[in-house]
Amino acid sequence: MNMTVVSQTAKTGTSDNWLSNLVKNSCSSAEDSQIVARASQSSLCVICKGSRFLCGKTRCPIMLKVNFFLKSVPLMASEDIDGACPPSVFIGRIGYPYVYAGPLVPPVHEDTSLYDLPEQWFGRSMDEIVGFRSLLIRGKHRVHVQKFMSAGRILDQTRELALAENCVDTELRLTKKPRGSIYMDADVQPFGPSAPIRDLHVGNARFDHRVEKAYYDTDLRATNAVLELYERGVMVTKIQKAFSVGAFGLEKNRRFVPTRWSITAVDDIISKNLSEKVKTFPEINEYRVYESVYLDNVFEILMIPAQWSYESMEAWYPGTVWNLDGKGVAIYSDWEGNSGRTTYAQIGGCYYSARLATCEQLVKERRQATVIVLREARPGYIMPVGVWQVRENVRNAMRQKPYLFNTLHEALKLIGGRFEIPMQRWIMQSELLKRALYQRRITDFFTGGSRA
Amino acid sequence: MFKLKVSDAKLLRDMATAISILVDEATFKIEPDGMKLRAMDPSRVAMIDFEWPKTIFEEYECAEPTKMCINISELLKLLRRAGKDEAVELSLDEKTGRLQVKITGKYNRNFTMPTLEASEEEVPTPKINFNVKAKTTTQGLSQAIEDAQLVSDHVRIEADSEKLILNASGDLMGATITLQKGSDTLLDLEAKENSKATFSLSYLTEIIKAASATSDIATLEFSTDMPIRIDFQQTKEGKLTFFLAPRIETE
Repeated sequence: MNMTVVSQTAKTGTSDNWLSNLVKNSCSSAEDSQIVARASQSSLCVICKGSRFLCGKTRCPIMLKVNFFLKSVPLMASEDIDGACPPSVFIGRIGYPYVYAGPLVPPVHEDTSLYDLPEQWFGRSMDEIVGFRSLLIRGKHRVHVQKFMSAGRILDQTRELALAENCVDTELRLTKKPRGSIYMDADVQPFGPSAPIRDLHVGNARFDHRVEKAYYDTDLRATNAVLELYERGVMVTKIQKAFSVGAFGLEKNRRFVPTRWSITAVDDIISKNLSEKVKTFPEINEYRVYESVYLDNVFEILMIPAQWSYESMEAWYPGTVWNLDGKGVAIYSDWEGNSGRTTYAQIGGCYYSARLATCEQLVKERRQATVIVLREARPGYIMPVGVWQVRENVRNAMRQKPYLFNTLHEALKLIGGRFEIPMQRWIMQSELLKRALYQRRITDFFTGGSRA
Repeated sequence: MFKLKVSDAKLLRDMATAISILVDEATFKIEPDGMKLRAMDPSRVAMIDFEWPKTIFEEYECAEPTKMCINISELLKLLRRAGKDEAVELSLDEKTGRLQVKITGKYNRNFTMPTLEASEEEVPTPKINFNVKAKTTTQGLSQAIEDAQLVSDHVRIEADSEKLILNASGDLMGATITLQKGSDTLLDLEAKENSKATFSLSYLTEIIKAASATSDIATLEFSTDMPIRIDFQQTKEGKLTFFLAPRIETE
């Protein structure tokens, strides 16, 4: 059951509603209808009231959201938002192919480019990221994904924003005051309240000339456009933004792509291409372990001297984002052999963003390896912030000097020491670890049955 | 320089399919007495040993030993275009270094494809003393392997003098498949001592499925925790043998 802590619906008994009271007391200017907060499935939150951490997290995600929500309340007082767009756009996925598209505009006039640049976020605290993301007000405009070219000026300008290189002064006129909770999702970076668009005025935007070239090339396939831009050094999130507003591809195939789909699509296209290159390089000479910890997500990345194959595993502690009610740790895994995969990975977008980050390193070194990404999400990871966290966390791991080992057992010993979950649990769930540990090679038997 | 003609395109296509299970780029040795290939898959877990004597071919011209490396899945694309009773002729154009694939039948098709740099690696055969030798029908064998694949991704093969047992256990389900000596599936069984070894089903299924198209009878040879050798008896002459390394679970 979804317990809705809503002040606008008086029938749920506003007097008992600790959260709405809290919001009301600290900020009387907000109109009731603008505040909607949803607590997690159980009624534990009502007992806990954000102070006793009954859910097992180290901090209360509701309180964190509320704190930032309160800060953005004064910004929501008007139907007219006037500010520098980072630039940033969001395409929803609900109702596909009729989706809500529109810009994200913060009501501030300064260099806001950081607000939508996950490449620069690594190392910042959860508070900081939620802080500036919750300033982003989302304008919404309903559009059919394939008919965006003839959908009018609002969407033309939205597309211009997505292709812009720097912040653009934007006037966002909404039909009503923005409302809503801070939007949190596993794949998508968080953002603030939203409202339908009445009108949109975008200042002069300068396009990234590389992206612009791909945009005007209506004979260039989307896959090739993405790869070309990546090779010419355009940031992955910039490519993804243009990808989501249908800026690439053959003219007749162009369409809006919901933001969360576009993120994974771009990660997949690039990393698939990189892995093809990796397969042509010589294998690494030793077992390697790379590490990185960020936002209470512990990454241990094992590289095995063997042909390219890839596995991504994640373990969720009870009480973390995707294991709210669980009693024990939940481990999920997905893998691909040398020839890649054709189905969508069960564990979702982070499979592809971690594959991208590891392939980048191998291509840079011109080496080949079997890569196993192990991730332990600890209770401090109180809410999802988007797959950029995985991409940047793994990229950070790749920038570190790896630990080198001569045997798999030494490498696993190090990893086992870092994790709280015993190594045996990981091995049981991991196809590639099992293969590496148990599968013999035919070459072991060329010299009369010696065992490696 | 060589020219090989096979009167039945299906024969060549089935063989190429079996080879493509393990290797993408296949280096064939074309010698005056026949055509050979011995190669390991990229992860070096399995190995294929293939030979076609010149008598299989309708025409066989080879003056001196040549190596030819081709992308086998590209060749398969071309061979799939050939119908049942059409003939295929392979020849090397020495000037361009390209392989010519001529399919003749209802009408004539002439394809060319590039050859790749031949691998210099000489693959030896594994030295193993096998304790068990079992002769099965390929149809029965692939059925038994499919049964095991329902529950797990690896299978333990056990044998004593009376029977061959396939044992699979997955996270939730398990399967035991027994083949009795002298049954319709297990034609013959010799066991010097009781033996058992575990193998990856993803390899086994693909190998057996592809090789079954070329053969009715397979001979399995193995010993405890040693590679398995599967020889697919060819309907005409020729040899198609696979080796697969075992899985050994240690604590």
